[in-house]
Amino acid sequence: MGIVLDQLPGCAKPLPGGQFLLTTTDYFIDLGRKYSLWPLTFGLACCAIEMMVAYAGRFDFDRFGVIPRPSPRQADLLLIAGTVTKKMAGPIVEIYHQMPEPRFVVAMGSCANCGGPFHDSYSVLKGVDKIIPVDVYIPGCPPRPEALVYGIMELQKKILKMKIAKGGGATPQQEKGSRDLTGNGSNGGQV
Amino acid sequence: MASTKDAALARLLEHLSSAEPAAHPIKDYPTVRLSDPAEITKAAAFLKDELGFDYLEMITAVDWLGPMQLDGLAAARTAAHPFKETPLKADPPVTPAPGAGAAYRPVLDLLWSFGNLRENLKMFLRLEVPRDQAEVASLTALFPAADWQEREAFDLLGVRFLGHPNLTKILTTEDLAGHPLRKDYAHQKDRFDE
Repeated sequence: MGIVLDQLPGCAKPLPGGQFLLTTTDYFIDLGRKYSLWPLTFGLACCAIEMMVAYAGRFDFDRFGVIPRPSPRQADLLLIAGTVTKKMAGPIVEIYHQMPEPRFVVAMGSCANCGGPFHDSYSVLKGVDKIIPVDVYIPGCPPRPEALVYGIMELQKKILKMKIAKGGGATPQQEKGSRDLTGNGSNGGQV
Repeated sequence: MASTKDAALARLLEHLSSAEPAAHPIKDYPTVRLSDPAEITKAAAFLKDELGFDYLEMITAVDWLGPMQLDGLAAARTAAHPFKETPLKADPPVTPAPGAGAAYRPVLDLLWSFGNLRENLKMFLRLEVPRDQAEVASLTALFPAADWQEREAFDLLGVRFLGHPNLTKILTTEDLAGHPLRKDYAHQKDRFDE
């Protein structure tokens, strides 16, 4: 418990005797969530190469508890690493809805953010936030692995603010979507 | 079998009646310009059976219409029929590009690439078809690999391959009308565009 207590000076209090730890439920749950972000391996284009480097030895995503999962059923983070074509939009929405909540989305690179160099293409979606809500945007073409690590750390900060009392752990951003396309408060999973 | 690229080119030209070496070959590969669309099957069969070119690498095409002024074209098409490509009433204005050095003309320049893996040879066939009548015989009976290649050329450039077993879209979404790599393609806004 020594390491945890060093990390949690203001949020957790050890009780006298050393056998007990007093903290809030929100903090305890969010702590588990932020250090066990299991991303779906979902590389779409060249950003995926940088994503793989971030998993590999030099940057070692495993240190953050970021362990890639092959199935959306086991994942709670969707790393959109690359260009989202309009033909891929349907499968992405399907994968997103197969993930258990709370689920998070990181848009990696200019293409996933806004279409990037393909913003005027006939076949490329102008940002993955048109179909699913995005928690963290990482700019770059492609972003370096340091930027991806920084984006994950920002997502961890965001997770730490989640409250159980406010809607089952999902943030309002997740409920609504970062760009409300239909105007009635939710896109309802419709593409 | 042919031992060198020159021998292969000579034998193919000898076999075909209306073919000639292309004026602008692709790099230094033997490139044959066909003038009769009916001869592509004959040429491909000869390449495969006699010259050992048993590997179809690629089928594609180039639209030589040249740069176009597309302002208002998409809106006109959308108004005419939202999800169907409407043929243009008149030829859209063709803007010459000064200094480009290319002769713009309303043709699709088709390109087939054949490989001979045993002798490390490569052969290109070219054939011009008119844009509004872009039809050519399919090679799927000779090369199963031609299936998806021809579907791609059909999807992106609108070349119709006669005799293809399943000539449907392969890359673009179902609601995309038209052929995006054609020079007069004007994108109509779909459900993903703002």
